[in-house]
Amino acid sequence: MSLIIRNLSARVKDGAQILNGINLEIPKGEVHAIMGPNGSGKSTLSKVLCGHPDYEVIEGTAELDGQDLFAMSVDERSRAGLFLAFQYPVEVPGVTNANFMRAALQARLPKGEELDAVSFYKTMRSKMTALGMDTKFTARAVNEGFSGGEKKRNDVLQMMMLEPSYAILDETDSGLDVDALRIVSDGVNAMRAPFRSFLVITHYKRLLDYIKPDVVHVLYKGRIVRTAGYEMVEHIEQNGFDFLKSEE
Amino acid sequence: MDFPQNMSMEEAFALAEAEAKLKQALTESKARFENAVIPNRLNEDWRFGRPHKHAVALAELLQSDTPSQGEATVQHAGEAAVPVTAEDDDLRQTEMLMPTIGSDALLGMHLKRFGDGYALYIEEDTKEPILLTYKTDTLYTPSTFIMVAPGVKAHVIEQHYGCEKGTIFATRNIQVAEGAELKVELQPYGCARCMSITNIQNMGGKVVHYTHHFACDWAREETVAEIYTPGADNQLFSANKLDLDQVLDQHTRQIHHVGGATSNLLYKNVVDDNATGIFAGNIYVAPGAHNTDAYQSNRNMLLSEKATIHSLPGLEILADKVRCSHGSASAPMDEEQLFYLLSRGIPRDEALALVSHGFLQDVVDKFERS
Ligand SMILES: Nc1ncnc2c1ncn2[C@@H]1O[C@H](COP(=O)(O)OP(=O)(O)OP(=O)(O)O)[C@@H](O)[C@H]1O
Ligand SMILES: [Mg+2]
Repeated sequence: MSLIIRNLSARVKDGAQILNGINLEIPKGEVHAIMGPNGSGKSTLSKVLCGHPDYEVIEGTAELDGQDLFAMSVDERSRAGLFLAFQYPVEVPGVTNANFMRAALQARLPKGEELDAVSFYKTMRSKMTALGMDTKFTARAVNEGFSGGEKKRNDVLQMMMLEPSYAILDETDSGLDVDALRIVSDGVNAMRAPFRSFLVITHYKRLLDYIKPDVVHVLYKGRIVRTAGYEMVEHIEQNGFDFLKSEE
Repeated sequence: MDFPQNMSMEEAFALAEAEAKLKQALTESKARFENAVIPNRLNEDWRFGRPHKHAVALAELLQSDTPSQGEATVQHAGEAAVPVTAEDDDLRQTEMLMPTIGSDALLGMHLKRFGDGYALYIEEDTKEPILLTYKTDTLYTPSTFIMVAPGVKAHVIEQHYGCEKGTIFATRNIQVAEGAELKVELQPYGCARCMSITNIQNMGGKVVHYTHHFACDWAREETVAEIYTPGADNQLFSANKLDLDQVLDQHTRQIHHVGGATSNLLYKNVVDDNATGIFAGNIYVAPGAHNTDAYQSNRNMLLSEKATIHSLPGLEILADKVRCSHGSASAPMDEEQLFYLLSRGIPRDEALALVSHGFLQDVVDKFERS
């Protein structure tokens, strides 16, 4: 069981091509990292996998546990086990965090089955506490007026509540203070399991020191140009992405 | 004119002057009713409100033999509520002098039917909201008067029930004294036609006004919120979901007669199907009303290709050191918000409902926090 991306090319609708034939396989139980310069297509790749309407798949396939990802609607992909913690989580005025999560969990239950409200709130509160979030945030509108770091934590909270089998974290570390970085990483590590994989997008070694990846990919100009082990993280941290220039 | 004994010359003069002023105002007001024409398309304040259809029909009904007939109830008011009678000259004068936004003729017809509704003289904090309801399945023309005494905190909810075929045309005069706080809601439900003319006179207190229309075929709302004393604060909110062929025609004036006061407006509509939402607002800051803060924002979410929005915000500022802004935006549902909900596995229909409901809930939240 894995997430398998084959020869994926995608463009902005009526616009520039961003992804140029991406090949990537993430088996269950593994943590993969993607690094790469600004604008190389990391966020685009994660949004294309989720089905963001701004993008159009030109070529290629993506399989989630054998199911054709691109044949599914955005919400079906989520219920099939895919999750993306966004680089820039969106504010949704007037919809409380609690109602948002309730709707998402309710959608995962069989028809006719009602989510148990008491245990829902209990779970939500305990996960918020684990993430160092004030439980008052249950009653606040999703991300509205949240600080940068609070938004990131809120996305991680959603991941913990939804327990996806494939979670993509897009620069979740940016905006987190040192303590929050540790707390969030602990949360992710606690979720590591043989039946779950992570794709961690980051610019910094410090996150990958907490969440040790099994495999590290380098994305450059919409293509995976290197696949290596943890040593690649050290290399990039020290030398930057200059080595990619020779690829051109 | 009889003057009370022990009155100084100055006081007597002031009183005489006030009486003369009132007399003149009443004469002028009489003239405005006599000269007023039933709204038509040339009337700037009715430009998008389909006056040939709605105003004319309402005028015909008001001028017909159809009696004004409805049921008025009031709860949790204690001693504060007094039924309005045709003999109450003070209240009649108040209604006579109230400003409209293009509907003098209709107000004149309302006055001819004067004598129903409630006056609330609120002199103690309300423990639970005073609930005022007007209900009819024919025609009803009640008048509401709310007077809040200095320093008193009150909450009033006024509901109109039209039983799907009824017409309710209400006037609402609200006076809030120094240091008083009034939360006041207007909630018309299921009216075939629903019109309200509201005048808020703020004498240095705080008024938080919220309107919410539900399932009314046609509704027209005129709200003139006036500030007469520095330190006053008027907060105007409205949130409505319009669908089918509904028309909601909302007009507001935020008037600052004096400086050093605040007014704020947030009106939001979600417009679906063939429905039409009209918002025309104006902020007026009188000459010399310096240090005024006045804001106005109208936001609309369009859910169908055939839905229509006319949004006309406006400013007229004749003073200095004024902080004013107005804004209007009408757009389909925010794609990023919708995507965010979908990406968490919430089915499309439900995500649409949550986001559009949230768009309006945002106003309710702000009203409750105010
Ligand atoms: N919706 C869009 N419209 C126009 N251009 C886009 C859109 N989405 C992405 N792009 C462009 O595609 C390129 C890749 O963007 P993307 O956000 O995927 O980069 P990234 O690798 O995530 O960068 P960063 O490290 O800065 O987050 C950029 O040049 C960006 O401007
Ligand atoms: Mg990015």
